[in-house]
Formats: sequence, C-alpha cells, structure tokens
Amino acid sequence: MHKRSTFWARTCFASMVLMLFSLFAFSQGKTISGKVTDANDKTAIPGVSIQVKGTSVGTITKADGSFSIQAPENATLIFSFVGYLPQELPASATAMNVKLAASVKSLQDVVVVGYGTQKRNEVTTSVATVKAENFNQGGSRSPMDLIQGKVAGLSVTRTQGNNPNSGASIQIRGISSVSGDMNPLIVIDGIPGGNLDLLQQDDIATFDVLKDGSAAAIYGTRGNNGVILITTKKGKAGDPQYTYSTYLQREAVARRPAILGVADYIKVAGEGNNQGADVDMYDMLLDKNNLSHYHNFAASGGTANSNYRASLYYNDANGIALQNGRTQYGGRVNVNQTGLQGMLTMQFNLAGNFNKANLNGGNSGGGDNKAGNAGADFEQAVQRNPTAPVIGPDGKYIETNGFNNYNPLARLQQELYDRDQKTYSGDARITLEPIRDLKFSAFGAIVRDEYTDRQYKKKDSRSSLLSYQGGGYAYKANSAALDKTFEATVDYTKTVNSDHTFNVLGGYSYQYSTLEKYAMDNNGFLTDAFEDWNIGAGNALNDPKLPRPSQSSNKIDNTLIAFFGRINYNYKQKYMLQAILRHEGSSRFGANNKWGNFPAISAGWVISKESFMQDITVINNLKLRAGYGITGNQGIPSYQSLLTLGTGGAYLQYGKWIQTYGPNKNPNPDLRWEKKKEFNAGIDFSLLQNRIGGSVDVYSRRTKDLLFNYTAQLPSNILDNIFTNVGEISNNGVEIVINTVPVKTKEFTWNSDLTFNSQRNKMVSFSNQIFKATEQFYGDLPSPGNLGSAIRVVEGGPLGTFFGYRYAGLTDDGKWQFYKKDGTIGGVKEVNADDKAVIGNGIPKYMASWNNTFRYKNFDLSIFFRGKFGFDILNLQDMYFGNQAWKPNNMLASAIGKNAKLNDDPQFSDYYLEKGDFVKLDNITLGYNFQLKTKYIRNLRVYASGRNIATISNYSGLDPELQDTALDSGIDGRGFYPRTRSYTIGLNLGF
Amino acid sequence: MKKSNAYISAALLALGLSACTKLEEKPYSEIISDQFYNNKQEVMSAILRPFTHAGAWAAPTGQTGYWRLQELSADQLAWPQKGKHGYDGGNWIRLHNHTWIANDDNTWLPWKLMYWGMGFCNNTIKDLTPLDFAKIGMTEAEKTTLLAETRVIRAWHYLKLMDLYGNIPIDTLVSSSASPATKPRKEVFQFVEKEIKENLDLLQPLSGEMVGRMTKAAAYSMLVELYLNAEEWTGTARWDDCITYCNKIIAGEGGALKGTIPALEPNIFGAFANTNSQSPENLFQLTYDLRAGNSRFGWQGDFWHYRQRQIDNADVDGNNGIVVIPSAYDAFKDNDLRKTNWMLIGPQKKAKALRANEADSLVLGTEEYNNKPLVFVKEIRRNSDGETGAGGMTRGEENSGARFAKYRQGSQDDPNYWGNDFVLYRLTEIYFNKAEALIRKNGKIATQDAVDLINTCKKRAFKAEDWAAEAYTTTSLTMDELLAERGREFIFEGKRRSDLIRFGKFTTATWWDHQPSADKYKLFAIPFKQTSINPNLVQNPGY
Repeated sequence: MHKRSTFWARTCFASMVLMLFSLFAFSQGKTISGKVTDANDKTAIPGVSIQVKGTSVGTITKADGSFSIQAPENATLIFSFVGYLPQELPASATAMNVKLAASVKSLQDVVVVGYGTQKRNEVTTSVATVKAENFNQGGSRSPMDLIQGKVAGLSVTRTQGNNPNSGASIQIRGISSVSGDMNPLIVIDGIPGGNLDLLQQDDIATFDVLKDGSAAAIYGTRGNNGVILITTKKGKAGDPQYTYSTYLQREAVARRPAILGVADYIKVAGEGNNQGADVDMYDMLLDKNNLSHYHNFAASGGTANSNYRASLYYNDANGIALQNGRTQYGGRVNVNQTGLQGMLTMQFNLAGNFNKANLNGGNSGGGDNKAGNAGADFEQAVQRNPTAPVIGPDGKYIETNGFNNYNPLARLQQELYDRDQKTYSGDARITLEPIRDLKFSAFGAIVRDEYTDRQYKKKDSRSSLLSYQGGGYAYKANSAALDKTFEATVDYTKTVNSDHTFNVLGGYSYQYSTLEKYAMDNNGFLTDAFEDWNIGAGNALNDPKLPRPSQSSNKIDNTLIAFFGRINYNYKQKYMLQAILRHEGSSRFGANNKWGNFPAISAGWVISKESFMQDITVINNLKLRAGYGITGNQGIPSYQSLLTLGTGGAYLQYGKWIQTYGPNKNPNPDLRWEKKKEFNAGIDFSLLQNRIGGSVDVYSRRTKDLLFNYTAQLPSNILDNIFTNVGEISNNGVEIVINTVPVKTKEFTWNSDLTFNSQRNKMVSFSNQIFKATEQFYGDLPSPGNLGSAIRVVEGGPLGTFFGYRYAGLTDDGKWQFYKKDGTIGGVKEVNADDKAVIGNGIPKYMASWNNTFRYKNFDLSIFFRGKFGFDILNLQDMYFGNQAWKPNNMLASAIGKNAKLNDDPQFSDYYLEKGDFVKLDNITLGYNFQLKTKYIRNLRVYASGRNIATISNYSGLDPELQDTALDSGIDGRGFYPRTRSYTIGLNLGF
Repeated sequence: MKKSNAYISAALLALGLSACTKLEEKPYSEIISDQFYNNKQEVMSAILRPFTHAGAWAAPTGQTGYWRLQELSADQLAWPQKGKHGYDGGNWIRLHNHTWIANDDNTWLPWKLMYWGMGFCNNTIKDLTPLDFAKIGMTEAEKTTLLAETRVIRAWHYLKLMDLYGNIPIDTLVSSSASPATKPRKEVFQFVEKEIKENLDLLQPLSGEMVGRMTKAAAYSMLVELYLNAEEWTGTARWDDCITYCNKIIAGEGGALKGTIPALEPNIFGAFANTNSQSPENLFQLTYDLRAGNSRFGWQGDFWHYRQRQIDNADVDGNNGIVVIPSAYDAFKDNDLRKTNWMLIGPQKKAKALRANEADSLVLGTEEYNNKPLVFVKEIRRNSDGETGAGGMTRGEENSGARFAKYRQGSQDDPNYWGNDFVLYRLTEIYFNKAEALIRKNGKIATQDAVDLINTCKKRAFKAEDWAAEAYTTTSLTMDELLAERGREFIFEGKRRSDLIRFGKFTTATWWDHQPSADKYKLFAIPFKQTSINPNLVQNPGY
C-alpha cells in the first residue's frame, strides 16, 4: 500500500522521461492504450515509464495511470517504475491493463542517508531501513516503539512499559560515552534534532538508521551514537485519497508483585501492627477500566508536479495507573511542488502536537517533579500495612505513621500535577536545478517545544499539613526550547561513459538552540479554589513564618556550525566508493578547540555482478561493504569551558543578607570533541530468487577523548572536578539480519525475519598524563541504608560491572556473612570497600528478535519474539522488600519464602543478582483485509494486536527487561509501576 | 576529500550565502568571571563566598566534612545503624572503629569540601589584587582590609585541614594543571601562623555589624587553637603564646559582638539560642537566619528523628542519624543542666499546636516502635528484640541514644525561628584553652587561675544549691577531669577528636564498643582520589 517512491524519485524520473519523450517522433505501428495500477491496492500509478523494447520510444502514464503509445507489431513493452518490479509484456492487444507489483525488498529501494538518498544496492555503509509495513503493530506511545527489535544493534527500551507519559530510551551499538550524550541523533525530514512528539505512527513512511561511523560522519558532530532518519509520508500524484486509522487499546497488568496477605503480614510484623482492615492498595491504584483510543485522518493527492498530504490526529491514552493519562491532538501538512519547467522544487512541512498529560499518577519520580515521591505510589502500595484502613469513618484519609510511608490514594486525590505541552515544527526546502542533475538547495527549519507544568497540593493534603502549616501549595513552571536550523547544499550527479557515475554533495549547516526555563511556587493558600491560577494569593508572600515562596529561571544556548561534503562514485553499479568530510564547530568547546574534522570513507563491491558469478543462479545478490569513519559528540552541558561564577547562598554583610558569588566550575579552554573511530565491514546477500536475504555486519568502534567530569587536582583547582577529554571506550560487535520467505504460494506466504546482535563494551582507559581515574561508580543504592554504589567500572574492564560483596551464607541466627579479600568470612562490621569484587554485569551481551508474518488469502498474522541475553539483574525489590526487616511495612512473599532464614538488614551482595536472560512474545497481530467491490473504498483492514504477551525468563522479579542503555544498567529499582500487556483492536480504511 | 573543502566554498558562493562561523557562547544565567567586580556589592559577594561554603564542612549540616570527622571518630557521638537505616556503606562504622582507608568517602569528602572553600579564597585574592578599587568606588584601605580578611579565612581552612590530614599541600594560586606538593605539618603550621600574623592588624575588630566575619577576635582564636595544639602538631609546646592570645581576647583586644569586651553568657543557652548572632560570648560563627536570610543552619538532617518536627512544631524532619554514645551520656551527672537541656531523652511530646486532643500528646515512632510512643533511650541496642548489654554500632533502633538539642530553633511561630548561628569559637573555649595551657605549663598540675577559669564556665551548668559540691579544686581538676569537662562543655561543637589527640587518648582509649586503634589514625589518610592524580602528594604514614 505504501509506495516506495519518494517525491524526488518520481519527479526526477518523470521530468527525465518527458524530456526524452519530446525528442523523439512517434514511429509507425499501432496505438496501444490502457491503465497501470498497483497490484496490491489497485490505485492508478502515474509516471510509470513505458518503453518499446529495443527502441528509445516511450511514454509515461498520466495522473490517472492511463497511457497511450505507438508500438510496432510484435513489439514488447517494458513497464517500469521506481519501487516496482518491471514487467515486460507483448504488445498484442490494443488495450492493456497492467498491474505492477511492488518490488519486495527491492534493491532499487531508496535509502535516506542524510542530505540525500541512495539506492539500496549502492549503499556502502551500515544503514538499516524499516518501512511502514514492517512496523510493530498496535498502539505506540513513542515512534521508536514501531521499530523496537526490528534493527539489529538498535536497542529501544521502555522501562515503564506502556506508561503513556514515559519515553523510550534508544541506543545504537551500545554505550559510546561516559558523560556525553548517548542517544542517537534523530533527523525528521531533514531536521537534525527533530522532536519525536511530532510524529504519529500513521504519518511515518520509513526509518533509516545510520549505524556505523562511515555513514554517520555526514552528521559528524552528533554521529557518535548513530543517526535515525525518519521520513514522513508524502502525497502522490493520482486520485485524492483519504485514510482513516483508528484503534482502541487496553492495558492489563502482566504480573503483580507477590506481597504478603493480612494473615502472613501479621505473622511477621506482629499483632501490634494489626489495624483491623484488609486492603489491597495495589489494586486500588489501578485504572482497570483504562481504555485508549486513537484516530488519524489523512488526505493526500497531487499531480505530476505538485502533491500534498495532510493529517490530523486525536489520541486519548490512558495508562494502567489512576491519573496516568495523556490526551493529544495535532496534525502534519506536507506540500511539494515543482515548477519553472521542472527546475524549481519547493517542499514545505508543518507539524504540531498539543498534549496534556496527567503526571500525578504513575509518575516515575525524580526530575523536576516537585509533587514529592509521586513515583513511589506503587512502592507505597507494596509496602503499605495491608491491615491499615484507607479512609476513616469521618471520610478522611488515614495515613500510616511509618518512615517514608504515605497513603498513595490520598495523595492522588490531594495533589495535582499536569503538563501542558505544545510542540511544533515548520520547515521549507527550495531546490533549484538549473541544469540537469545539478541541484542547489536551501533548507530552513524551526522546532519549538514548550511545556507548562502545574502542581497544586490541597490544604488538607499530607504534604501541606507537614510542610506548609496547612496552607495550599502551588507550583508552576515553564520550559521552552527553540531550535533553528539553516542548511544549504549543492548536489551534482554526472555519469561519464555510462559506466562511471559521480555524485558530489557540498553543504553548510547552522543550528542555534536555546532552552529557557522558569519556575515559581507559593504556599499558604487559604482556599483550594485557585489551584495554581492565582499564585500571588498564597500567604507566604506576606507571612515570613511560612516557607519562602521560590522563583527560578535559566537560559542556555548552543551553536553548531558545519561545512560538509560527500563524494560518491560507482562503476557499473559494481564498485562503489564514498568519501565524507564534515568540518564542524560547537560553541560548547574551549576557545582553543572549537572545531573538529570528521572524515569517513567506505567502499562496496557487488560481487554478484561480476561475470564469474553470473552462472551461480542461487545467488541473486552478494555485496561486500567496508567503511571507516570518525564521528563526534558534543552532547555535554553548555558553558563547561568557561570560568563562570554562580550563586552560593546569602550571607550577612554589615546587617544585610546578600547573595554570594564564586566560581562554579574549573574552566577548561582546551575542552574539545569526543571522537569515535569506527570500522565496519558487512555483507549483503540475497539467495534462491530472493527467498533468503540478509546482511552481516561486524564493527569495531573506539571512542577517544571521552568527555568526562574528572576529579581534578585539588588544590590547585578550585573545584574537585573538571570537564575534560580523557579516556577511551571500545565497542565491538556483530549484527546479523536474515529475511526469509519459507513459503510462498498464491494464497499463502510466510515471511520469517531474524535479527541478532552481540556487543562488548570496554573501558579501555580513564587516564592520561594529568588525569587518572582507576575506577568510576554508578548505580547508587537508595535509602534506607544507602548501601553505596552497585556498579564499578575500572580501566580495562567492561562497562556495567556489578561490584559488591560476595555472599558467604548466613550465620545460624540469620546474619549476613561475606567473603573478605583474603578469603576469610566476615559480617557487615568486618567488611569494607576492599572486600568488594566483580560479581556480575548488567548490560546484555546478545539481543535477538524473530518476526514471522503469515498471509493466507486476506488474513495476515504476525508473531514477534524479542530477547536479550547474557546479563545479570540486581533485584532491589527483593533486596529491600523481600526481607522481614522491612516490617512494620508490608513485604514481598519472598521474605517468608526463599529469604525466610535471613534475619538481618538489607545488604548489597551477589545474593541478589540473578540471570536476566529473557525471551518475550512481544507482539502478535491478526489482521484481515476486506476485498470490497465498491469504488468508494480502496482498502479496509481490521486487526487485533497483543503486546508483551508472554515472557520466558528465570528472573524472579516482575519483568527482566530493564533500562540497559546507561552506565547503571541492570538494576531493577523499586518503582513498581506495572508492566502491562496491551490489547489493541484497530481499523485502517482507505477511500 | 580535500576537494570537498574547495567544493563547499564554491557552493556557498554559488548560493550567495555569507557563512556565519561565530561560535560564541553566551551564558545567560551565570556570570563570566571577567565581567564581575563592578561595584562594592559584587566584591563583597565574592569575599563572603567561603563563609556560606564553610557551612557545608565546618557545621553539622548534612555533609561529611570537618565536623563529622571530629565527632564521629571520637568518644561522644556516633551514627549507629538502626535496623535497615543508617548503614550507609559502613562509613559511620569505619569512622567509629578507626578503620577508614585512603579510598574512603570519609577521607575524600572533607578534603574536597575544605580545599574547595580554600580555592574560593585563592580565586578572590587572584581577582581582587589587580582590581582598581577606585574605579568601583571603593578605597585602597577597604581593599587592604578585605584582602587581609580573605587571607586569614584561607589560613583558617589550612588550620583545619592540617588538623585532619597533617601533611598537606599549600597552594596560594589558582591553576588548572599544577600538582602542588605535600608539605610537612610543621611547615603548614608555620604558614598558617605567618598568614594570620601578617594580616592580624589589618583585620576589623569583632562588632555587632561584623558578625559571622573573619575579625581580629576570630584570628586571635585561631592563634590560640594553633598554639594549644603546637606540641602535638610540631613537637614544640607554645603554652605562653597560647595564654598571650587568650588574654588579648579576654581583654577585648579583638572586639566583641556586644559592648567592648566579650563576656560569658550567664546561662548555658545563650550562645546557641536562635538569637545567638548577638551573643556577647561568641567570637566567630557562621551566621544564618531562616527568616531574614532564607538560610538555615540545617542540623535536622544529621540529628533529628523522622518525626522530630512534631516536638517543636518545626517545618522539617530528619534522617535519624547521629546520637550520643551511652558512655558520653553517662559522663554527665544527673544534676548537670547540660545533660537535661542539651540532649533529648525519654518520651517525646508533640508541640501543643499539633495535638488533635488531650490524648494526642505523644510523638509516635515509625519503625521498631511504629505507632508506639517515641521514647529516646540512652542505650544503642535492640531493646525491641529484648537485647541486653552494651549494644553496638550495628545494634541501634529508631529510638537509640540521647539526641542533640544544644541548638534549639524554636517553633515556626517564633519570629526568630531557626535564626541560630553555628558557633566556631566562643569565649568559654578561650577560658578552657587558657586554663589548659596554664595547667600543662605547670607540669599538668592545676593552678588556681586555671581552676577559676573552668569553674566560671562550669558554674552555669548547675543550680546554685548543687554548685558547692561540683566546683573544681586544684586537686580535683586533673587532666582526665579537664578532658571530661571539655567533653561535657563542647559536646556537639566539632572539637572532640583534636582534644582526645592532645590528651593522648584518641587511639589508645576504649569507649563504649570502640577498641583502641593504632597511632596512624591520629591523621586521616590523604585521599586516594588525589594521590592517584597528583604525584607530588605523599601519603601519611601507615596508609
């Protein structure tokens, strides 16, 4: 249904053929006319080239797909079009209706490579493409959900499952930095740093993932973590079309934590803690009637010279928790036009998203969430005394008195936390092609992301009673990010002697970004009537006995400027060479090192085109690729190179309290780019009439000059750390993709696709002559106990290593025993940092996915498995809550189960490490395409999807899929926000 | 690839663009150092920066700094594990047992905080020295005074660093690459002495207006501390010098917060009350005022129970951390007002304003004593499990140990609520130091002058009818008794470790569950985080 053609291909091709067409007079013969349609969705295809074989006579189809051509008797007509399998048909009849089939996994596919496109068979680097028809089905909160598990080496993790207000963490080929940005650069329709909120799943045509350095170097500066290029759908010439997509989705808890019931609880905590009730607080926090719905309505159409697509959407997403919703609406408009005799093309995009999120429930906590421990609602539910009543006879909520205890249901009713977000982008590109294949292009884009947070705590809320003397508390904050981009490119393609094709690209890029924030709060509100809408009414402004109202604001900026070029050469589509250079400067770096160079070179050899391969019919395509590229990372906070002064609190000066100022960082005028050198080699292959295809890539990447906040010599520095470039990380890995069509008959096809990747990270070095760090710690374990850091990285060692005590059994009275360094055994008083050892690793070594799609007549069924292997999980839930010492709070059942003998307070050791390996049945979708004999409906599809349906794992916790894209990976924290199974029914209608 | 550069240039020309290549950063919410110091307020805001920073390391405000090392390694205070709370990586247990190592937060964090504060002083001196004060409407005399004040604050940092670490690098410049070398303690001592003496006469005297600043009175007090410990720190006793500077302070040569000469508070509360910023007794303090300055001497985090706000109707709670060691609690006699007023013990009552009714008068526990009355007990042991005996560092419960109440913030309704300053030097200490110098000079036999000085202070802690039995005589004021009385008088003030060392007890004595350690623990280790990057540092012996 989704044509592979892009606007570019279509217009270029059409204008080319038109020019040819005008040069030749019609030859003698008969006139054949007819219509070319898409074999799949039966829409007319304009712009199809029709050529009389062996001659230069040809034509192209009109907007309605019709054509008329003069051809000699017994001639053969060749019908061809980008993205379709060409057909040769005898010109026997005078009326021909031709159906073109889309070319499955076509080597002619266009791949977006940044500042341009390439044909798939010309690509020399490691680029993965996922098209709309291969997206994960069902409702997706983040566009990245659509390709989770689809690209080898791309990790997409949603640690909060389907929480509508959580994001996905994305990583390509593992961790490549310590303090710098670790996220891939997102480019949406050419806007670097595009905003994912602006994308709806029905508006996306393709994802192209530039994985290796030789591909990403064109975005050199931010290419270290790879680049994800997202192309939205465009209109196409032909009849105006409407598309309506909708779904309904419901979440159900996949696995509830096993907590003690009333009887067991009293047995452990004692009758003294029996408050008489029997409450399932966890259940009370669930929105069991949650229902999300989504609607997307798109209109598109066009002529040979102009086309448009506009879409509108509305989405009401409700998570599994109470007050955990998000409603959003918005739209996207794309207009393309070619004029001035095909010489001037303009492309124009506008997109907007307006959303309102209720962050009060189901929040992950942390960040700028001033609503207290909102994220801990489910933690509270787990540890709440199950005999404690929730509401008293007077209708008031009852609080339990314990440390870090609150009534989560009461908090939800007493507090408010909303986010109102508006995101929009607009971009325009003007391309002038004064002579054939020479294109000058100017591109401008503005992306604005703005949100307002509002919070209110009622007068009778626990928080107001505790901290604000019973007056209401209001908070308001605003954040506004603005990115402006201007880019200019020139592109020229020339074929010499029909065998040598050159493409040369040059360009300039300028990006300026700002982020502005302000926040204010006030308290002492006498009435709850205003919430945060009359913030000046809070008494704290006048009453010095109330906690001070506060205000804050902040603005940062960042400029990136680059010059870049790319040369592609190919000889007979057999040998390809690509060279890239980007020269880029970032305002963030020191005066001495603002600019960096990011070169790359790659080559490809299509072995299957060699003459000696022509007889080997088993092999349809075999290509060897190799590339080397240097990319950079500037993803650190601004102003790190400058000596700046910051505030230090007020001090009394001759009777007045005045703000103090002092240096707030050690300046580093030498601060420079983090650089990654990456070698990638790969093979693309296609066998047995394209029934088996795939690729294998191996890579070796080394990131040097790691941007890192190092411990500085103190003295002579003022502060204890300095942002500087020291050290090196290496990642090596293999990625394998295999696409097969095991069965293909007229009525039944089975596609089976496999991806696999393996990667190893190593901290090669932390040190240079000045700065030496032998170890770094991550993953601080929370209160109570503050048991230190769980993860230590040492020079020469892998990232993500758990470092802690080694469990040596319990004493007879249930006290911890640990191995000491010298092999003896000691209790908690005897062990110190020297007795800790490497006890595991939290970063998966292998990831794999397996997708099967079955098509039988009009039915289709896809079954998608995904898994991660070779890592350990630190089960903090078991460590803190699976321990009888957690009383008087409630506990997990393991406290009287596998941990029953333990009679000691929580300690971090390998006792709580478990193997994390898992396989998930991640998506199962059954669809039906109606074949309706009406001219009003083009296509109609209904489907039902289930996501996160089953997990196979030995892990005893709730879900083994954790955050694994950071240096503190593999820690299963205490959040308890439920992982859900999502059930979706949906409908796509084209008319 | 070289070609591409030329190509790019051509492309730009062709497009008629003028390439913008400016990469300036504009800080909006921070100030670039070169653009500061345009008026007196800006100059003063830099001068005062080390003082606000000192709250982090010199006072018990929640960070591991000088104060925690001084108290938690000594015989009066400890942060025991209380059930699942308070293990904190074993940090407090190692401090208490004297088992810290070089790669330990206990050795690194105080170093970090104190040298950081010292760096503020260096930076201010570096920035202000070349500044033309006339251009910003200030006089050369002001410049001289302010630079002198900053140099003496810097010396104060070195004094305290030397106390903890002994042999340390001295750095008076700001630079981002130099690795200054360790100097022996004796040299550091001389540096501190020289810096104070060179600037002493340039400093302003203490006055009500100069509260919280580095004045003559504070500088004299530093010299007193330096000379009192000179024998331990350099091997050479300086008792006469100590006495000389005590006398100058007592005579009012350094000025006073109130009046012309400092005076002892008549009772045991005045020096620590929420109005103590004008106490005649105090000589140097970090000044705070929650209401006027929105700055709080926040001791609640380290000391208070999770529900302690209810006792005085305060606005914050604590982490239930530091408590009084049972033997230190027992060192006070029952009729000692300091025992009953500077510590909390027994059942804790809610402030009247917070009581829903007459029956609702008790603060309730949250852990071992969940929903039961919170009763602080002197023992640190699992009473809830029926434990008897001395208890230990891992045996605490939520109500274990007597609690800090030397500083009292008042209730939220009090106009001076949490106006307390943290006192660094007060006249009582000068009396004690002079007495100690007199006694040591006299072959460790008390003189009548010394007894009078101590009695003058101690008398405030007893009712008139009890006093006769409690007053010291030249025979009852032994060295051990002097150390014990110092402990009682200066508990919670961050001085105990130095006192124990000077009296030869720190590594040799036994208290509660603490066993004698080894001589090397008289100095903390130089942090591994620094020895690993600065090759010119020398680790202290034994680490």
